[in-house]
Amino acid sequence: MSLIIVSIMTDDLAKCQKERDENLEGWKRAKADLLNYKKDESKRFEIVAKFSQEGLIRELIKTLDSFDLALAALEKEGKAEKGIYLIRAQIEDTLRQNGLERVAVSVGQPFDPNLQEAIVSVESDKPSDTVVEEVERGYLLHGKLIRPARVKVAK
Amino acid sequence: MAKILGIDLGTTNSAMAIVEGGEPKILENHEGARTTPSVAAVSKAGERLVGLLAKRQAVVNPKNTIFSVKRLIGRNFDDKEIQRDKSWLPYEIQKSATGGMEIKMGERWYKPEEISAMTLAKLKADAEMKTGEKIEEAVITVPAYFDDSQRQATKNAGEIAGLKVRRIINEPTAAALAYGLNRKKNEKIVVYDFGGGTFDISVLEVGDDVVEVKGTGGDTHLGGDDFDKRIIEYLVVEYKKQEGIDISKDPLALQRLKEAAERAKHELSTAMETEINLPYVTSDASGPKHFLMKMTRAKLEELVRDYIDRSIDLTGQALNEVKLKPSEIDEVILVGGQTRMPAISGAVKKFFGKEPHKGINPDEVVAIGAAVQAGIFQGDVKDILLLDVTPLSLGIETLGGVFTALIEKNTTIPTSKSQIFSTAAENQTSVEIHILQGERPMAADNKTLGRFILDGIPPSPRGIPQIEVQFDIDANGILNVSAKDKASGKSQSVRIEASTQLSKDEVDKLKQEAAVHAEDDKKKKELAEARNMGEQTIYLAEKSLKEAGDKISVEIKDAINAKIGELKTVKDGSDIEVIKSKTAELSMEIQKIGQSIHPPHDNADEASK
Repeated sequence: MSLIIVSIMTDDLAKCQKERDENLEGWKRAKADLLNYKKDESKRFEIVAKFSQEGLIRELIKTLDSFDLALAALEKEGKAEKGIYLIRAQIEDTLRQNGLERVAVSVGQPFDPNLQEAIVSVESDKPSDTVVEEVERGYLLHGKLIRPARVKVAK
Repeated sequence: MAKILGIDLGTTNSAMAIVEGGEPKILENHEGARTTPSVAAVSKAGERLVGLLAKRQAVVNPKNTIFSVKRLIGRNFDDKEIQRDKSWLPYEIQKSATGGMEIKMGERWYKPEEISAMTLAKLKADAEMKTGEKIEEAVITVPAYFDDSQRQATKNAGEIAGLKVRRIINEPTAAALAYGLNRKKNEKIVVYDFGGGTFDISVLEVGDDVVEVKGTGGDTHLGGDDFDKRIIEYLVVEYKKQEGIDISKDPLALQRLKEAAERAKHELSTAMETEINLPYVTSDASGPKHFLMKMTRAKLEELVRDYIDRSIDLTGQALNEVKLKPSEIDEVILVGGQTRMPAISGAVKKFFGKEPHKGINPDEVVAIGAAVQAGIFQGDVKDILLLDVTPLSLGIETLGGVFTALIEKNTTIPTSKSQIFSTAAENQTSVEIHILQGERPMAADNKTLGRFILDGIPPSPRGIPQIEVQFDIDANGILNVSAKDKASGKSQSVRIEASTQLSKDEVDKLKQEAAVHAEDDKKKKELAEARNMGEQTIYLAEKSLKEAGDKISVEIKDAINAKIGELKTVKDGSDIEVIKSKTAELSMEIQKIGQSIHPPHDNADEASK
């Protein structure tokens, strides 16, 4: 009789111990999950903060494009005043301080789809698949390409 | 356990998602975008490019840039669809030995599944980088009308990319999974999927744990890209009318116009009118030319009306084929970016006579659903300890009968929150903690859970004692509320068993009431706050008068007392504006006390010398 009781009690104890271990394990996991989440979250927050202005900067890039086109048109007519270049430099400076960088493009170099987008392929005396002309500037924000440079590529 | 990737392998774009912490979420690709163009290419230098990079060089390398391969996969070369597509696809296709087809890219001929595998391999690699884990298995979606051969070919594409394909599921089924509609027994669901290049309509029926496709329809050559083309055509024609210049001949101008058209389309989903403004878009002999045009939502809708009508006709046809009436459909799901257009969701709503589901980003809903299916395989759903949330906000009554929530609704439990409160009257020695539950801003409109009194607070001016009220809900939903006076250390608490045990109906009813009375309640709360502010100002005024004593003139005293009188007569009324203005007047008046005791120095420099 008492042997049976002991055996039942041992079973119960084993069950309890198993449950205890599982619960402890679950609790530890939950705690670890939370700590890891906090770490991930703070990392993510850094990225979010860094790129929080991306939308605004993307819009401003379009304004800069128009500025470039306006300057080119004025240059043609010989009407481009120094002041206008200075205003452009001001805008660019502000954007640079916020992490914006221009994609460097050199005519005659091989076309690079990592940083450039081909908008047309043209007949040219340049070697095939090299950049003939940069028609729109490309930009990187904190090293991430947010707009490829738009180029004409030799056939 | 290794993650299983959910993949929406689309005709124009693909997306991927995983289940993390029980929730499906979209994974961004290496370039930081949430969708990846389904494009592969071999560059002139012989380099293989996939996704955005392949797309960027498409113009200069059209013969070796392969897109829309989903239109070819698993089909026979002699299919009439293939013969039709072959005529407009810029790359070369030939019949393979088995009757299928091969695509020429660079120096080699590839099977369509090999091309699809390139997109899949990129997604796999990017997902591995993003999660920092090896990914070996995937759930991939296909259109509901795909036959066995197309499904097998898609599966093969996955295997070629190094993924064990746990299951090929239908895109509409994935969308239903994303919305959790697979649990709704015996419902009939329509998925209206307006993508970039294709329009699919699917009728589903949810049986016992299975989602069955009853019928399909659509147009494989109708999509959002057609909308963009229409807008661009319209703008080009209008510009020609205005300026006499054909802008479509200038590649940069056309590129800018394309972007502007897309932006206008997006903006007109929320705004009624937008302006397309492209300075220096081109030039002619007379000098630079600008592009400035207003576009209204009505104009956009007029331009694409026939496309929308056609999609609705096709929806009707698909229903006819399975002998169902629009009214017999229980749920409608919108998929595809183009469904963001109000005219489309409006047309769908009108046709079915019910509001379609559109809460999940329509570009991502299929990938999310694929991840949900992957999560089921992964067992993530089971592993998670189910934690309850409080269905309604819990809090106490504060000055003026206002309900102040300590634990907001939908907070996961167990949790505890505390906040410091104070007394409202001079020498108040006890406070009543009135515990309430509900969403209405005034205490009287919410449900009382209990109340108790904390006494023995040492007499002191109002606002000085610090009484910490703590709400603690354990995992079983049992609420413990305690209040403690920080100065005396005296505390009191109560235990409430039934804080979360409201039936779903009760909770819904309370939430509904809150919504119905939102406007009224806001006013009541504003009134209570205005009165509180008034009372506080009166208190401050009286206190200041007492403190100032004889230091101020009788005129100032009388003026303040007059204003106090005025405020007292209006403060119990119900005109918020009057109470606010009288309070402001009294505040102005009180400032005169300070000015008369410490006259302002006109010349601060003098004073500091």
